[in-house]
Amino acid sequence: MWKNILIGCALLWVHSATAAGPDAAEIIRRAMDHYRGQSSYAQMTMIIHRPDWERRMRMRAWTEGDKQTLVRVIEPKKDAGSGTLTVDGNMWTYTPSINRVIKVPSSMMSQNWMGSDFSNKDISKDTALIDQYDHTLLEQRERDGHRVYVIQCVPHEDAPVVWGREVLQIRDDWVLLRQEFWDQDNVLVKTLRALEVGQLSGRAVATVLRMGREDAPGEWTEVRTTQVDFDLDLPANLFTLSSLRNPRQ
Amino acid sequence: MRRVVPVLAILAWRNLWRNYRRTLIMLLAIGLGVWAMIFMAAVMRGMTDEMVRNGLHTLPGEVQIHQRDYRRDPSVVNSMAPPSGALLQALQQPPVVAWAARVRVPAVLASERGSRGVTLLGVDPQAEAPLGSLPQELVAGRFLSGADDRGLVLGASLARRLETGLGKRVVIMSQDPHNNVADRGARVVGIYRARLSGTEERFLYAGRSVVQDMLGMGGAVSEVAASAGDYRHVAAWYPRIAAAAGADLEVVSWTELDPFLDTMLGVQDGFSLVFMVVIFLALSFGLINTLVMAVFERIREIGLMQALGMRPRLILAQILLESLFLLVLGLAAGNLLALLSIVPLESGIDISGVALGMEMMGMGNTLYPVLALRDMLMSTGVVVTLGLLASLLPAWRAARLDPVRALNTT
Repeated sequence: MWKNILIGCALLWVHSATAAGPDAAEIIRRAMDHYRGQSSYAQMTMIIHRPDWERRMRMRAWTEGDKQTLVRVIEPKKDAGSGTLTVDGNMWTYTPSINRVIKVPSSMMSQNWMGSDFSNKDISKDTALIDQYDHTLLEQRERDGHRVYVIQCVPHEDAPVVWGREVLQIRDDWVLLRQEFWDQDNVLVKTLRALEVGQLSGRAVATVLRMGREDAPGEWTEVRTTQVDFDLDLPANLFTLSSLRNPRQ
Repeated sequence: MRRVVPVLAILAWRNLWRNYRRTLIMLLAIGLGVWAMIFMAAVMRGMTDEMVRNGLHTLPGEVQIHQRDYRRDPSVVNSMAPPSGALLQALQQPPVVAWAARVRVPAVLASERGSRGVTLLGVDPQAEAPLGSLPQELVAGRFLSGADDRGLVLGASLARRLETGLGKRVVIMSQDPHNNVADRGARVVGIYRARLSGTEERFLYAGRSVVQDMLGMGGAVSEVAASAGDYRHVAAWYPRIAAAAGADLEVVSWTELDPFLDTMLGVQDGFSLVFMVVIFLALSFGLINTLVMAVFERIREIGLMQALGMRPRLILAQILLESLFLLVLGLAAGNLLALLSIVPLESGIDISGVALGMEMMGMGNTLYPVLALRDMLMSTGVVVTLGLLASLLPAWRAARLDPVRALNTT
């Protein structure tokens, strides 16, 4: 009961605060547009870390709009050429060694992506955070000369989201600093942290992002972005199954 | 002849008690054997009944109607229009007492801490209730209130595995007819317990219209189940439903849906008979030995009777009567023992120590032995028939004794 009252108070307070401040949904929208632009191309390294081993993969990623993403692995050699295409919430993977494009069935959407700590759903449903949650601005704080917005996102009743709530920290230059995934018993399950923020192509970008589960501190996945270009003219046939299978870039 | 039989009976009876210690041991052996036969049969009957009951419970409705390809590939693509026209009419007439149309598709249920494959049942609780297909026991919350209830009811074991619980939101994921991901969040409104934890982990109940909406299948359903009350007499009425359903739909009875259950029912009697015969074979050695000894001890006596004019046929009859008395007394003792030991156990034997193994066979952790009259009659039949057959040999030898030689044996 006291929890409800607390949330009630928080909401009330937030409401009075938001009257003056920016709209929470708007901040998220901005942050999302900021890190992927209208279209983008990025080179990154994904590091999957476990207590007894570590694995690095270099990859290239293209995005256009909210709903189209193509990721292709370039290193290590063993995995080179395999890729993932998401269009409008559907997801396909291509593995050169078996020369097959496979549509990821719904049953596998909650499985991890390429062995990392990201789930297929994390990869394919970016914009769900905007459409399927209620957003409230919890707090604005100052850090390193920036204003940081702390936003709580509570999924709609029917939203296909297992979390009780997600808490985002977004800097005033629209860099996502932290995304916390809380379960419905108010226990923090996993966190996405921006460990480093740098300037790439004239924009502030989280160059090192780390996703880790709270109950397994030795296990995490890091994405290090080394190069990113925004608002490019991408060929129209980039986000198609044939381009997933036959890289032309 | 009419005066002969009582005399023979008296002779046989008295002979039986001449060596009462041996007779009592034999009686004990027969009694225990008969008890073992009936007890085994009762336990086996209990097991089969339980398996059939559990099987039918997870497969409710003795007759099911599907789209032609559904059983081969139970996906949302192979769904059917809800019953209409002749089929609807046939379903609304006796002997059908209840029918329900449901959506039944494979799905994945995910919580914050895990996900598992399940069978999603989109049901209309009002129609399913008379079929007895809904979970019998709710441990928390409530069942769905109607076909448009937006909640979910899941099994206790599944809730434990996914570390979720009553009032929590979970996500169901499946595929729509165009192979797109179809998913939605839903709140757990009830948790049920089933006899088997396998059932609890497999079946997930949601409102039918809500599932139809999620999967974008309009008013279509996966299966229609119908029941006429008694699962044993399904063959009498299901051809009529099949005729009404037409060629595009497949109508099958539970005996085809789960041939294993049907076979189990069929072989149960056969198994019992084999058990009884095996037990009796062991017993028969004791029986023959007893009779052979009894004849051997009385060679001079038998020779005297023959010398006095008793026909070999009557001697044969006397020995067989003696054996029959022994068997009947043993049967009475065995049946009584079985009755006394099974009736108190009919409320269930706790076998939770081996429950995991039993569950693979589709059984719960309590075994309910069933004492059936036919098992008692069958054991009596087996013992009397085979017993008399076994006694024929010593009796035959006694009847064929040469009186002169017999009298001269020392």
